Amino acid sequence: MTSSKTIVLRSSDGATFEVDEAVALHSLMIKHRIETGGADSTTIDVPEVTGNTLSKVIEYCKKHVEAPNSDDLKSFDTDFVKVDQAVLCHLAKASYYMNIKGLLDLSSKTIADMFKGKTVEQIRETFHIKNDFTPEEEEELRKENSWNLFV
Amino acid sequence: MGASSSNLTVTGLRPSTRTGPCLGDMPESCVACMFTYLSPPEICSLARLNRAFRGAASSDTVWESKLPHNYRDLLDLIMPPERYRNLCKKDIFALLSRPVPFDDGNKEVWLDMVTGRVCVSISAKAMAITGIEDRRYWNWIHTEESRFNIAAYLQQIWWFEADGSVKFPFPADVYTLSFRTHLGKFSKRLGRRVCSFENTHGWDIKPVRFELSTSGGQDSCAECFLDDCDKDEITGSYKRGYWVEYKVGEFIVSASDPATEIRFSMKQIDCTHSKGGIYVDNVSIIPSDLKKSRRMLLK
Repeated sequence: MTSSKTIVLRSSDGATFEVDEAVALHSLMIKHRIETGGADSTTIDVPEVTGNTLSKVIEYCKKHVEAPNSDDLKSFDTDFVKVDQAVLCHLAKASYYMNIKGLLDLSSKTIADMFKGKTVEQIRETFHIKNDFTPEEEEELRKENSWNLFV
Repeated sequence: MGASSSNLTVTGLRPSTRTGPCLGDMPESCVACMFTYLSPPEICSLARLNRAFRGAASSDTVWESKLPHNYRDLLDLIMPPERYRNLCKKDIFALLSRPVPFDDGNKEVWLDMVTGRVCVSISAKAMAITGIEDRRYWNWIHTEESRFNIAAYLQQIWWFEADGSVKFPFPADVYTLSFRTHLGKFSKRLGRRVCSFENTHGWDIKPVRFELSTSGGQDSCAECFLDDCDKDEITGSYKRGYWVEYKVGEFIVSASDPATEIRFSMKQIDCTHSKGGIYVDNVSIIPSDLKKSRRMLLK
């Protein structure tokens, strides 16, 4: 494969991004699509991801593919996740669907760090999570986790 | 999915008014990925967020990563297979996070609830103590102050020696071994705990020698006076009347060790002086980082 081949990625909202194939292959989901899709698959739909998020994902893949050994990779990653929690969650989901382990680990760890030291109520408020339990389910949950003395 | 462009503003991103920021509908496996960076208590707490989080909080993948790598060897040693065969990994963690007795109940193992690391304790009952059968020297005292509910109390003796050993599939880690002892005889008087030091003697004359050695050839030793040599009558000794953990030393278990045997001892065998008025409760083997973070009294 020559490195001059490009792939077009299309987001859920119709935004298209032309990227080098090598960069696109950083997503194992896309790699699999290309390998099973035949020689004509130059446009790949990514319906689980919006344009905004896809653009950021591509930025991540570019950096990691083009300069994997650079000294500033760590600071790139640190700055990359200095975004608000909504963007962070979208990144986590996108990296999960697109099977990009490095980005999934990075965004998951960042979100996990945001959970530390917060109560369940505070997290619900910060991340706008709806409590979808019935009172009976909540009681069941309390019993389920009663073995853990720290909870 | 297929979300519309309601959240495509580039600056000052607002949560989408339609579905809300997406943590609420994160797929379980994605949440499970976040849980790999959180501790068991944090995971159990977050299970209350919503159903997806609850599902991820019970995931075998998540809990398998919190269990020690050789948890199956641990289980084989300490309980019959029927007891754990049908349990999910979370329940296995829950089971092991409370002290599990083995070796006729004279030893206990448990996983630290926060880090999942293995801790072991060996009761004085499992040790070979010189003169233990002679009630002029030693007596067994039932007490809630021991995790085994029993400790050996020494009246007085010349040859003081307590030896023990444990062979156990410790997961790879650095461990600290300590003896837990108490100077002075305690009792309850009108609901209050009182200590008598009538019998406490000899520990300020010569130091006690602590030793450990492993099957892999690691050795460590320490010497310590268990009592203060100049006792201040006003403030008293801070070594008396408290349970003290004397650190004997550390040993390393590497990933390739299937089981490690550790021998340990505590001795004061200088027969020119007698010593007494001490409880010997247990020996604990705790990962060193854990020990430091819990700030137990170390030698």
